[in-house]
Amino acid sequence: MIDLAQSIVDGVLFGTTYAVIGIGFTLIFGVMHKINMSFAAASIAGAYSGLLVFLLWKTAPPIVVFATSAALAGLIGYAIYLLCFRFIPIASPLATLMSTVGMLLLVDEIIVHLTAGMPLSYPAIYDGYPIELGQLILRVDLLLVFLVCLVAMAVLLYLLYRTRLGIATRAVAQQPVAAQLCGIRLTQVNAITFVMTGTLGGIAGAMIGASVGVLSPLLSLPLTVKGLIVTVIGGLGSIPGAIVAGLLVGAFENVFQMWRGVTERDMYVMLLLFAFLVFRPGGLFRIAGARD
Amino acid sequence: MDFYYGLAQIIGVHTLLGLSAYMVLLTGQVSLAQAGFAAVGAYVAAMLTVLAGMHLFPALLIAGIAAATIACAVGFPALRVRGLMLVIATLAFGEAVRLFFFNFDYQIAKGEVRVGPLGGEGFRQIRYFPENGWTTFEVMLLIWAIVAMVMAALWWMDRSRTGAVLRAVGEDELAAQSVGINLTAVKVSAMAAGGFIAGLSGGIYAHYTTHIEHANFGVVLATFAIAYPILGGLSSVFGTVIAVVFIQGVLIEGLRFMGDWRNLLFGALIVLAMNLRPHGLLDPRSLAMLRRLVGRA
Repeated sequence: MIDLAQSIVDGVLFGTTYAVIGIGFTLIFGVMHKINMSFAAASIAGAYSGLLVFLLWKTAPPIVVFATSAALAGLIGYAIYLLCFRFIPIASPLATLMSTVGMLLLVDEIIVHLTAGMPLSYPAIYDGYPIELGQLILRVDLLLVFLVCLVAMAVLLYLLYRTRLGIATRAVAQQPVAAQLCGIRLTQVNAITFVMTGTLGGIAGAMIGASVGVLSPLLSLPLTVKGLIVTVIGGLGSIPGAIVAGLLVGAFENVFQMWRGVTERDMYVMLLLFAFLVFRPGGLFRIAGARD
Repeated sequence: MDFYYGLAQIIGVHTLLGLSAYMVLLTGQVSLAQAGFAAVGAYVAAMLTVLAGMHLFPALLIAGIAAATIACAVGFPALRVRGLMLVIATLAFGEAVRLFFFNFDYQIAKGEVRVGPLGGEGFRQIRYFPENGWTTFEVMLLIWAIVAMVMAALWWMDRSRTGAVLRAVGEDELAAQSVGINLTAVKVSAMAAGGFIAGLSGGIYAHYTTHIEHANFGVVLATFAIAYPILGGLSSVFGTVIAVVFIQGVLIEGLRFMGDWRNLLFGALIVLAMNLRPHGLLDPRSLAMLRRLVGRA
């Protein structure tokens, strides 16, 4: 029983990183009605680029690395917008799907090329003793990851719902033509969305690096799959859905990892996704009258 | 010379895979499950010839039907969702199949060696072609005969009423529904037909490589499968073939001298191609131009 509780707690804490990746997918989908397959890879690339700090400043504290990761990931997000979305006609969703898949391969290969395919160690967010709560052990680093991700999400929600920029973003998401008639510049808002989600992805990538301890280009494909699953289970385009689904998937996979081992774990996550598709295709937080 | 036959075999198998995705894409759905269907076909065909000692042709047929059945079963729940949700659902299904074969053990003793799929180590010793004395050239001929048959069937279908129905669903579901087309029936049949072709390609693949494992059928292969028809353009089956030759022949084999840089260039070229030709290499306009040229000649 205590094992079960322990693995659920660990899973939920790690699930926040899935949630953040899911938010990135969902937000870009919400604004552009397109999916950015390269998002998770770009997040990992952002985390990698944070390590560049060590070239200039050998003893940089972890927080500087994380901040650099976030900032550079924002830049990568902008680059992806320019290369994969800006110049491709809005009416051909297949073309942007393919271009972002190409981008996913490209980003992965750039990482492999620059690091010679070796995993790099990433600074931990905390390296003290874990907290013991009765029989439960809480890993403090995961807890801090959880907090950082929560703060990042809160900032994002604030930006979206309390600022003029957020109003513009949501207007573009709801009705691009009407938004344009109100004097909102589509390309600018889209670009800003990509920078915002890129930054968020950079934070998620840094947190994943911090909690796993190493960064490897092998992380990006599984993370893409998990992030997309989270997006579907939460309801495509729904931010609260992505958060809840991220935590749910994190807990679910950790429980099955305990029961059935690491090789079978992901199979059950896929089954969970299929259960959702059959019984609740709109996801947990279906948006009323959502368009395809 | 055997090298070129081998290359032709790879191109043939990938063409089949691309055509299976083409079939599904005609109805406007993006399926990332084609690698999963190919995996089903590969394992079923290999188990039939190796473990049950069956002849290759019935084994391939059964493999195709098995993959088609599974595609049909996946089609029903997955088709309740549309567009991008389907991309994700099929991606997850493909991964689930791969993970299934990663955990799948079924070995029997045959002579002195134990044969059959063995989890992460994969399925070794699929020696139908060497045991029956097929040369590389004959295998290549067989593969391309199958490719030609599938292409002819698809080309003919495209010019028939069925093709019009499929394309109608792909262009505008609402309009198609309002002229009395049963969307679910059309989409599930397209999915099943695509599954059959993918199963065939998997079955052949298993026999010419003689060793398959779960890692062969990952997301990358699924991406390749839809990349061919999208890159080639959906106006004609020949677009897919052109894209396969372009990717497998030119990008992967032709650029081998570039070493590591080749992989970098690969992603970049896809991005570039999509920016320059969003409707595929062989888009409707260039196809119309070709038709005019051929018509005049």
